[in-house]
Parts: sequence; structure tokens; C-alpha cells
Amino acid sequence: MSYPALHQTPRLADVLREQVRAVALALRTPALVALAILLLGSALAIAEFVTGGGPVDFAPELSMVPAFVGLLFPIGVWKGERRFGTSFLWLLPVDRQRHALAKVTAGWICLMLAVLFFLVWIFVLALATGGNILGEHTVQLLPSAVIPEARTLDPAALRPIRYAPQPVFWLVPFTAATGTYLLASAVALGSRYPLRWIVGVPLGILLVSALGAAADIDWLRFLASRLLGAALEGRYGLDALFTARAESLKTAVVLSTGKTVSVWRGLPDVREWALATFLWFGAGLAALLAATARHREHRPPRRPRSP
Amino acid sequence: MSRVTVADAMPETCAVTTRGLSKRYDDEVALDAVDLQVPDGAVFVLLGANGAGKSTALKLLLNLERADSGVAEVFGLDTGRHGPQVRAQVGYVPERHDAGYPWMTCGRLLQHVAAYYPAWDHGYAEQLISALDVRRERRIGGLSKGDTRRLQLVLALAHRPPLLLLDEPTDGLDPIVRKRVLALLAEHLADSPTTVLITTHHIHEVESLADHVGVLRAGRLVAQMTRDALQRTVRRYRIELPDGWEPPRDLVVASPRAGRATREVQWTVVGEEREVTDRLTGSGARVREVTSLALEEAALALLPDDGAR
Repeated sequence: MSYPALHQTPRLADVLREQVRAVALALRTPALVALAILLLGSALAIAEFVTGGGPVDFAPELSMVPAFVGLLFPIGVWKGERRFGTSFLWLLPVDRQRHALAKVTAGWICLMLAVLFFLVWIFVLALATGGNILGEHTVQLLPSAVIPEARTLDPAALRPIRYAPQPVFWLVPFTAATGTYLLASAVALGSRYPLRWIVGVPLGILLVSALGAAADIDWLRFLASRLLGAALEGRYGLDALFTARAESLKTAVVLSTGKTVSVWRGLPDVREWALATFLWFGAGLAALLAATARHREHRPPRRPRSP
Repeated sequence: MSRVTVADAMPETCAVTTRGLSKRYDDEVALDAVDLQVPDGAVFVLLGANGAGKSTALKLLLNLERADSGVAEVFGLDTGRHGPQVRAQVGYVPERHDAGYPWMTCGRLLQHVAAYYPAWDHGYAEQLISALDVRRERRIGGLSKGDTRRLQLVLALAHRPPLLLLDEPTDGLDPIVRKRVLALLAEHLADSPTTVLITTHHIHEVESLADHVGVLRAGRLVAQMTRDALQRTVRRYRIELPDGWEPPRDLVVASPRAGRATREVQWTVVGEEREVTDRLTGSGARVREVTSLALEEAALALLPDDGAR
């Protein structure tokens, strides 16, 4: 038997390039909205600076904006795409799982460009207002990581330290956005009804706590809050991913003099941040691969028996 | 009706072959052990009432659905193992009237799809866009059924695929555009070596193109044959019946035209004319006249009387 000359499938590089173009186009409207918000925020910051307010400091590791953008980004990436059933994406001549990953990668490239743009913007704003572009400032360090009871801490026990984030922490916005983007993409691709998960998980946690309280079972009552605390502010929790723990290490204490001051329980640690990022990336990638496996090419069924 | 097979010579090369292809949706049988053979270069019209399994068959060929059992091959490629390679050979017009992303313009979607087909013929795409009056600047979300269908046809034809899978391709088109589309399709077939598997409820529209016909009934492929074989084997017989006459066993009567009370009936019967005539005569009936049928009439005779066509 002879068949006609068969057509080639596209090269993966061409697919990725086209997906970047398509995703960028899909994100055009949200990008314009984000730009308008950024312009408004900048105008307010400049107005405050002109009227005697403080300058804008550049502290990339402290901004949670990229992490939240990463969380919402898949909505734009998968705009108008039915992920389940006979979707347009699956009609094209590319392995379905690879195609899904190519689209996620295209979204990630756009996300990184958006984060870079945001950081450059803030950097320029900091320069224009004479802000601190190295993020160097003095912090008051607690004598130990344990937060003392109110009105028990002697002000003399606080250690003032001149702290400047290491340059590697400038990567935090990029890694934070990547981590949340991977997890959100996994939910978007793996679940037919992602909203049910987004609403269902917090509701489930509330329900467990309420059940624990109603049944007067302490471990159940605090299980959810402890798990949530570990996931958010633990050593390798989300805050480690989002800000290298710059947020959760900072707290307010009431000194023995009655004065409330902002203090740090410790300083962000590169190794802890790197490990937390590695763990969240691993979890995100595993979830994403599991989610894309739901869209893999259908395996051939068993062959009929020969008559 | 029993399965109708006509002993034509087996095609040397088949663009599409299925063996024992079955698919169920919960308790509903969509396809039941379908053995389909679409010869290379043929225009194969797949007929069937709504829900007979036509669209499911096309989706299985593109590996968009998973078969419960059986094998489907396109140009010798197992659709389950080589889904992307198979889809690269196919121009597909789906039954549904949605093409791509509602937020995209037609022009951008054409550019998008072109990137996926190395064989995309830009010059030909321009011709099709012009002939089908596709307006590039319009958003896909705002297209009518007819506009969407025209865009889908451009997307399906512009890479000159070796196989076209057209699921109700003229559905939603007005008569003028429908005529233009059929003329374009004829031109396309003349210019590009293409196999076409087409499902339609309007067989008269593709009568000039069709050379093979298949009939699906409730998921079973009850007939597949060449157009000539269909018209040769499905004929109308005007028969005079004696009192108390009983029809011969295994006579495949597609559509009786009159009740048994009258002495003369017109039946559409499936089978070689000489054989049918001999059997009727042998049973005591007198065959008054045998007339051949138009393709549509012959094909419809194989469809259920009560189903929508």
C-alpha cells in the first residue's frame, strides 16, 4: 500500500513562539488595566513626594504584587479556551500534553516580562523620588526568634542592625510569581471547575475549625489554623516563597515602656528562601504535570480479536 | 435492516480504516463495531439520522475521543498512537459552530492556525478568504453561524490536507454561499489530491462529488459501497402480487410504498436486480417494472423511515 506524501507536524519551537504571541494578545486588556493602575499608583506616590511625603524605596523582595499576579495570570492565559472536551487547542496537530505545557510556558514568559516591567517601573520611580534603591535600612532585631509578651521586653535588648537585602533577593518577585503561577495553572488545567476548589478549600478549613469548636476537640479546632499557619508563615511556607520571609519575620511588639515598635525576629536567609522556592516549585511542577496528564493523547484501545 | 454489503473489489489503499470501532457514552451506544473503509482519493458520504454516530466517528479519527475498543487508522497511522501526526493530515470542519477564541479576530486566528501547519498555503488561503468573503477584522465571538462555517472551511482547506473530515459543512450557510462552497470544494478536489469523508443531511448537495456512500444506523455501519454499487443494488420494483403471497425470506425491502391489501405495490429493494427479480418471480409475484433511483433516493432508502434525516 502507498499513501500520499504526509504533512509534517509543527516544530515545538514554532508552537511555543505562536503561543507566546497568542497569550500576549489574550492578555492585552488586563495588561492595559494593570498599566492604568500602575500609572495611578505612581501619580499618587509622586504627588505625595512633591507635597513632602517620603520617597519610594525599591525593595523587590517586599512586594507581593508579582506573587498575586502569578496567581491570577492563568485566567488570562486560558481565556476563551475550553480545557475539557473538544477544545480548539486539542484540534491542532500537537501532542496534547506538550501543547498544554507549551501554553503554560508561553504564559510564564509573558509573566516574567510583566514582572520585569513592574520592577523596572518601581526602580525608576525610586530613582526619580530619591528613594533607597538598594533597600538598605536599619532594623531592630529581637534577642531571640520568640515573640515576647507585651510590656516585657526591655528596649535595650533590641539590636539595631544595618540590613541590606542580598542582590539574590532581587529574584524573589520572579520566583514568587513563578511558584504561584505554576500552582494556579495546575488548578486551571487539572480541574473542570477550578472555582469549586478555590472556594471549597477555605470553606473546608473553616468547616473543620467550626466542627472542632462545636465538638470541643482542641486538636481539631487548631489543626486547620496550625496547618494554615505552617503553609503561610512557616519556615518553608508561602511567605518564604513570596518575600523570603521578610513579611513574617517582621512583627510589632509592645516594649516595657509601653511603646509599640516594629521589630524583626530574624533576617531573611538565602538558603531557607532557596529551599522554600525549590519545594514550592517542585510541588507546582508536580501538580502541573499531573494536571496536564488529564489532557494527554488518548491511548489506543485494545485491538479486536481476529476472527 | 440487516447489514448491506456489496461485493465490490476491496480498495487497494484506504485513507481511513476502522476495525471494530466502538464507543459508548454511559449507557448509550454511539458506535458499535464499525468497520469503515474510505479509499484513498474517495469522496465518501457518511449518512445517518441524528445521533447515529457520525460526529463521534470523526472525533475518534482525530483522537479527540477515546474509543472503547477497536482500531482507527488514517493513512496507516493509528489515531490513538499518532494523534498529532493524524491531525496534521486532516482538515476538519466540526459540527459545532465555534472556531477558536471568541476574543480573537478572524485574521489573527488564521495567522495562529497557519503557524501550526508547515504546509499552510498562504496564497491559497487568501483565495479562500476572498471567495468565502471572510472579514479578517471581525471578532470570532461576534460571527454568525454562517460566518463561522466559512471561517472553518478556510481553516480546513488552506493547508491542502490529504484528508478532509467535514461534519455537516454546509450547515448554517445560505443557499448562495452553500453553492459557492460546493463549487470551491469541487475546485479544491480537482487541484489537490484529497480524500473526503463528509457527513451531511443534504446528500443532494454533494451528489456531484460523492463516489462512496456509508450508512450508520444507531451506531452500526449498515452499508458502505461505491456510488455505482448503491445505485445498481438499490432499485424500485413495481410488483403485482397474487392473493396470499408471502415475500421471499431475506429479501431486503428498504421502503414499501403500498400496503399488502393492494394487488400492486412499489418496493425499494436492496440486491442485484437479476437476483431480486428471480426471487420475486420464483415466489409467485410478477415484476412489472424496475427503475433506478437517484443517489439521494437510493441512500435515503437505507435510512430509518422514522428518524430525522
